[in-house]
Amino acid sequence: MAEKGKKMIYYILPVLSIGILVVLWGVLCVQKPDIMPTPAAVIKKIADITVNPISNATLPVHILVSLGRVLSAFAAACVFGIVLGILMGWYPTFHDIAWPVFEIIRPIPPIAWIPLIILWCGIGETSKVIIVFIGAVVPIVLNTYSGIRQVDPMLFKAAKSVGAGDRATMFEVVLPASLPSIVAGMKTSLSTGWMCVLAAEMVVARQGVGFLIVRGMDSGDSALILSGMVVIGVVSALITALLNRAEVKLCPWRTEQR
Amino acid sequence: MKSGKKKLIRKILLGCVGVGIFLGVWQLLMSMGVISERTMSTPGQVLETFIYKLRSADPDGATLQEHFLSSFKLAMIGFITAMVIGIPMGLVMGYFKAARLLLNPMFEVIRPIPPIAWIPIVILFLGIGMPAKVFIVFVAAFVPCVINSYTGVKLTNPVYINVAKTMGAGHFRIFTKICIPSAIPMVFTGIRLSLGASWSTLVAAEMLASTNGLGYMIQMGRTIIRPDIIVVGMLVIGCTGALLSFVLGRIERHIAPWRK
Amino acid sequence: MENRTKISISHVSKSFEDKKQVRHQVLDDINIEVKENEFLVLLGAGKSGKSVLLDIITGLDTDYEGKVEFSDGSRSTKDIGIVFQKYALFPWKTVMENVEMNQKFRGMGKQERKEKAEKYLKLVGLSGFENHYPNQISGGMKQRVAIARAFAGESDIMVMDEPFGALDAQTRYQMEEELLKIWEEAKRTVIFVTNNIEEAVYLGDRILLLGGSPSTIAKEYVPDMERPRKYTHPDFLELRNRIAGDFELVL
Repeated sequence: MAEKGKKMIYYILPVLSIGILVVLWGVLCVQKPDIMPTPAAVIKKIADITVNPISNATLPVHILVSLGRVLSAFAAACVFGIVLGILMGWYPTFHDIAWPVFEIIRPIPPIAWIPLIILWCGIGETSKVIIVFIGAVVPIVLNTYSGIRQVDPMLFKAAKSVGAGDRATMFEVVLPASLPSIVAGMKTSLSTGWMCVLAAEMVVARQGVGFLIVRGMDSGDSALILSGMVVIGVVSALITALLNRAEVKLCPWRTEQR
Repeated sequence: MKSGKKKLIRKILLGCVGVGIFLGVWQLLMSMGVISERTMSTPGQVLETFIYKLRSADPDGATLQEHFLSSFKLAMIGFITAMVIGIPMGLVMGYFKAARLLLNPMFEVIRPIPPIAWIPIVILFLGIGMPAKVFIVFVAAFVPCVINSYTGVKLTNPVYINVAKTMGAGHFRIFTKICIPSAIPMVFTGIRLSLGASWSTLVAAEMLASTNGLGYMIQMGRTIIRPDIIVVGMLVIGCTGALLSFVLGRIERHIAPWRK
Repeated sequence: MENRTKISISHVSKSFEDKKQVRHQVLDDINIEVKENEFLVLLGAGKSGKSVLLDIITGLDTDYEGKVEFSDGSRSTKDIGIVFQKYALFPWKTVMENVEMNQKFRGMGKQERKEKAEKYLKLVGLSGFENHYPNQISGGMKQRVAIARAFAGESDIMVMDEPFGALDAQTRYQMEEELLKIWEEAKRTVIFVTNNIEEAVYLGDRILLLGGSPSTIAKEYVPDMERPRKYTHPDFLELRNRIAGDFELVL
């Protein structure tokens, strides 16, 4: 009997959880009706901006603009970051020279680069892509480097014993062995990049989801802000889910463990 | 055969060479005119501005220390509040199924929203003063604290729990004596992530809506086209971040000495 | 009986410096003549420098004093088949690809190396598992893959570093038996390292006991028994006990 009761509670709790969230929202609506939009108002707003453009772009276009910035910066960060990570992991002298410089730059949050980059490149597309790049490249460099350093020394011996030369060792042993770590770095990189694009768009942009929520703030349109947040949350969740899938595809030997 | 001492000296020397090359190229690009004086300052000018800003409130309304203290205080209040609430919450969620079922769905809904996306709505509610910024920092720091504490407890080796059970430990004892200590490394990972997130989110908040703080200072530097002020601000932000995570590492080694 | 020397190890010593810059000597004046087609067992406790000695013999470690010479001229690491401790399989390659590695880097054609790999996989009884990843098969099977990979190099010298150390007793007996079968089918020089006395007595033509600090060759035994040897035979037990006694002494 007690067991059954327990099971019932386990079914009710998650529902209750979401319920509490909705009630909290409701309380805020009642308390501050001039600022807090109702859930219905937010849904209406999302539907509205999906067809009616704000700043010359409908919601899907704003999303695509933001994603485009992230993806082009991410692609560049992958190429640059992996190469730099390999160089640092493979050549100790290069590592000793480059590491201190990297360590000085690394703690500066990518967001803090925004003013300088805007001063350099203006308020166009380039500066946004560069800001995202700065945020996205760091985790890839770090994970590529540590992935290479952590290759089991036994595998180097094994590679030598089957007659692999330097090149073959690099491509057949070192890179695959560090791939899980590199992919993990790419995951962090993409979510950092997504955050950076929001920040950059919030500071200066005419399009993109980051621009949307700031436009909402400037015009006191809280329904627009919340719509933007919902969209941002959904896109983030989708990116994460997609990356987890990609990870399974890229490193099948890791996930098929018994 | 190379001895360890020689290796260390070589490492330090190469490091200096690296930093030297970096500063040299920077200076060279400036003096050759590849980068214009309007958009970037030389390393020397940055150092001068740094010293100057320690004494003068000119041109952005406050000295460097005032900006720094204002930012640091806000970051710490938000960060510590997040730790105090987030870590126990994560630990309890990890151990008690009921707590997990009640809190996790709420959390999963909020989690994907990056902390900086909270800035506009919070400012609309609370204005641009201290409460708004503390709240934003709190949101940024809260998520990693909860997730890592939660995961830490969930990853407790079941063997330890069984050993404790055979010794007659009850739920409370198992939770406090086994699960929490074994979660500590993960908790610290969470704290470290929290610290980074709260620091950079605060800078973002200050850039968007503020009248003081380091984020405000670099944003002003852009508006009045003073690259030296921006770079000084960036370096102070970077150094503070690095220093905080260093201190955290020390504390971790003290609390969890069994981890190397 | 063949008596030609295959590998001659003379006056090999090895020391290294730790992080605190303290010198440790691991091996002191090791002299071994490995005969052609001999099954030589190096027996020693953990940390007795067995693996270090193997790295020196196989050319993986070149920083030592003394000489390692092969009767047929110099050899590089890839000309010796090595079975590593804990398998050292490439986890991102399937069983087949792991075994193929050995011919791949020798420039063998695709078809040919596939046939070779299949042949050796069959020899170790793993046909049908070609497309599994190492993480999907048991420890005993991983060990067989490692052996097949080493054999696929078709070297006349095989070096095995505690290959069965991570296996349960049942699988271990079975693998020892199979290894001998394979070896008898195609004779080659084997250097086999173990810390298990029974395994040493069961397998070895000759057993060298490594011990002391730094390690030296403490004793040599030549089991005078017919193969397959029986674990319960009085001669087996007698030699086992003798070695066990010496083993204690050199620790």
